Amino acid sequence: MAISRRNWLQMTGAALGGAPLLQGFEDFFRPASPSASTAQTMTTACGVCAPECGIRATVQDGVLRFLEGLPGDASGGGALCGRGSGGAGLLYDPDRLKYPMKRTNPRKGLDQDPGWVRISWDEALDTIAAKFGGYIRQHGADSLLFLSRGSPEPWARFINAIGAINRVDHNDICFTTDSVVQRYATGGRSNSYDFENSKYLLLFGFEMLSKCKIVYAQGMIRAKDSGAKIVCFNPEHSTTARFSDEWYPIRPGSDLAVALAMINVIISENLHDREFVDNFTNFKDFESRIRTHFAQYTPEWAERLSDVPAAAITRIAREFATTRPACAPAYKKSLTANYANSGQLTHAITILNILAGTIDRPGGRYFPRRLTIQTMDQVYPPPAFPAKTGVRIDGRDKLPLVTREDHGMFSTLVDGMLNKHPGRIKGAFVNYYTVLGFPEPLKMIEALRSVEFTVVIDTLPTDTVTLADIALPSSTYLESTGLMSRAYEARKPQVVARQAVVPAMFESRSIGWVAIELGKRLAPDYFKTPTGAWISTSALLDEQTRRAGLGANFAEFRRIGIFDRDDRFVPRTTFATATGKCQIYIPEFEARGYPALPDWRPRRDEPSARYPYYYLTYLPPVHRRNSTQNNPIAHEIMPSNAAVIHPMLAERHKIRHGQMVRVSSRVGSIELPAHLTERIRPDCVMVAHGFGHRSRLMRLASGKGARDGDLIPGWSVEEMLAHGDFAGSGCIMDAVVNIEPV
Amino acid sequence: MAYGWFFDAKRCIECRACEVACKQWNQVETGVNVRYRKLHTIETGAYPQPRATALSLACNHCDNALCQKACPVKAIWRRDDGHVLIDRERCVSCRMCQKFCPYDAPQFNTRTRQMEKCTGCFDRVDQKLKPACATICPTNALQWGPWAEVAGKGADRVAGFKTPVTTRPRMRFVTTDWSTK
Repeated sequence: MAISRRNWLQMTGAALGGAPLLQGFEDFFRPASPSASTAQTMTTACGVCAPECGIRATVQDGVLRFLEGLPGDASGGGALCGRGSGGAGLLYDPDRLKYPMKRTNPRKGLDQDPGWVRISWDEALDTIAAKFGGYIRQHGADSLLFLSRGSPEPWARFINAIGAINRVDHNDICFTTDSVVQRYATGGRSNSYDFENSKYLLLFGFEMLSKCKIVYAQGMIRAKDSGAKIVCFNPEHSTTARFSDEWYPIRPGSDLAVALAMINVIISENLHDREFVDNFTNFKDFESRIRTHFAQYTPEWAERLSDVPAAAITRIAREFATTRPACAPAYKKSLTANYANSGQLTHAITILNILAGTIDRPGGRYFPRRLTIQTMDQVYPPPAFPAKTGVRIDGRDKLPLVTREDHGMFSTLVDGMLNKHPGRIKGAFVNYYTVLGFPEPLKMIEALRSVEFTVVIDTLPTDTVTLADIALPSSTYLESTGLMSRAYEARKPQVVARQAVVPAMFESRSIGWVAIELGKRLAPDYFKTPTGAWISTSALLDEQTRRAGLGANFAEFRRIGIFDRDDRFVPRTTFATATGKCQIYIPEFEARGYPALPDWRPRRDEPSARYPYYYLTYLPPVHRRNSTQNNPIAHEIMPSNAAVIHPMLAERHKIRHGQMVRVSSRVGSIELPAHLTERIRPDCVMVAHGFGHRSRLMRLASGKGARDGDLIPGWSVEEMLAHGDFAGSGCIMDAVVNIEPV
Repeated sequence: MAYGWFFDAKRCIECRACEVACKQWNQVETGVNVRYRKLHTIETGAYPQPRATALSLACNHCDNALCQKACPVKAIWRRDDGHVLIDRERCVSCRMCQKFCPYDAPQFNTRTRQMEKCTGCFDRVDQKLKPACATICPTNALQWGPWAEVAGKGADRVAGFKTPVTTRPRMRFVTTDWSTK
């Protein structure tokens, strides 16, 4: 054998030792020899995207070697996608934030060196507490901005305990429209689809194969295995389109017209599921109004708007209603946040599912059957929280249906910070978001520069970190613990233990720990157990584990790693709406002056002489939005983005494949190479999201590619209201552009 | 016992997990022009009826490995179980293997200036584990098993894959689509 064991070891060692992977990690990451004797496998959960697939991690001599799927896991089906299997690239990224740091250069901007100086956690936390405490006393708690999700629980408690009204998250560019619609239409939003048992899938821009939500891909493939039909509407011939039996290159932003016409066909021909519609919906209560309303939306009318042939709309509507069970998924950013008419579209798609009779039925969208994990508030009941008063900086309070959901609005935040209430925000705490996630990132940078004191916690030194006064190093999901109660593939309850596969690197800490430490300093009464001791994340986790019946404590459960309960799926007969029924006609919308039934309205920006083309963005499979561009393997596979266009469009502008082009919209322009393909409508320009990092401390990603958001206009709440966008869509695809060679 | 791969394009969602897991398990350096496994998207047809298919390729550990025949210093050898491997102590980086392999399997590492290629994860196979790529695939588009089982499972050729007549690669393809089962 010419490759001896010794050679193999040397080869591996050399590969590791010479790799840029190691820079800055000499003290922490010693290359392991892959001797089977020292390898151990551990159960944990992915943290790249929301289904949090179960992971079996191989750790050798304290170094994470390999990530693979966890057998028996419902979310990943025992596998991982490319983003998940590359997790070690984040854990061992030499560019990671390692210690708390404070800036010494008062000038802020992407082109400014912050002049970082390492400080202790105590100094960082004391400084933040002093600054934030001062702002609260002097200007009120509404002078603080938390750019953050509402989790983990200690973090939510901290924000509640200081009475801060301005927690702004990204949900308007993700799923707020769906939350608003489902609350009143079916009784709550859910991410669970029983694709596996579906016979007919109708996809309005549902891009879950293309962006690698493997929980959905596996279900759809099983559906195909058992003979299901898939119909796909998308201006791009995506991976999902490749899986579909029929693909229609629909005009961007016109899906609503097709959905309305399909509803018309189904109810005028009485093809709906009578048993479900008569017993579990409010169809009969509003029947004549519903029939009259939809009669105006003929397939011929929809064809003129959408370019989908009327005959196809009619046939597909009939097939959808009569091939049972059938389902039309409406999922997050792939659909519900794209256009100014996305709220109406989500309502229309929901009506299609109600008419198909598959809400919480086999083959349809269902409510997850979860094991209840007690919340922090249940385990350690807090004193009453102070009322949240003052100015809501993103104007969300003007949209009553959105405010009810407690989601923030990225798309209106800049207008609030720079135009409506300049100087109002004194202190900002950014938890993991980068400016790349916003419409018009350059304006968001301006908005953050207008804040006196900004704290950013992240794993990597992103563009946002460049603007911080204090930067805090966050631990990754691979260094974290938690109980993952399944919510995607959740026909029966399952819980997977997330455990740290290696100790937290450097001085990184979890946001939960930071919340408690800040809480001790600013709102101590809210961070004590009934016995008066400080709350700790580990004691909380132990108590949650015990109360859920998963084990005596977390350490005991994590050794098992996975819990299943073999419940039988019993379809719901009452729904969590005011009437206990699925609501096609939504009286609550009407009561607030919004249409009770979805009506046609156009997208926000239509092509013009100056900007003749539709702008599309997409999420490529190997990257997780804007968070993985510095991962060495993901970076190698896809280092940059391009302007994807049809050869006909290229010819019109004398653009060659690979040539640099300038794509411009009414708010900005970007330069990037052209990529020619037959797989897109000739009136579209498509750009991948996630690129265009400028922070020089992210050495692989920095300077690579263009920011797709530079072309996406933000908007104001008033514009939103004027457009009748009751559900607050971030409109991330609602832009038009021009393209020209550079 | 010999082993082989088996690829079903209609199940592939082009997630690139096979590529990532390969690099991760084998600790293949990044930024040196080496990727043992690569996912190819093959586009045909024209709008509005474009067609596309996927192909996940690495070394096929051919029965008649042209790389092995081409190597002037006998640095390429075959294990008893069929894995075709490069002995880097013997390799003189003449790149003849690269010239003769129709599948782009041997690749030149621009830092070490040596040839590298897919090892078939023989170290995993020795531990009774499947190669990293076939282990990770979330849709079972890429599978791996004893050649005696794989060989009869599908076609020996598919669009985008160089003719297997001479090389006899240990690779089979499902060429049916969903409608033909």
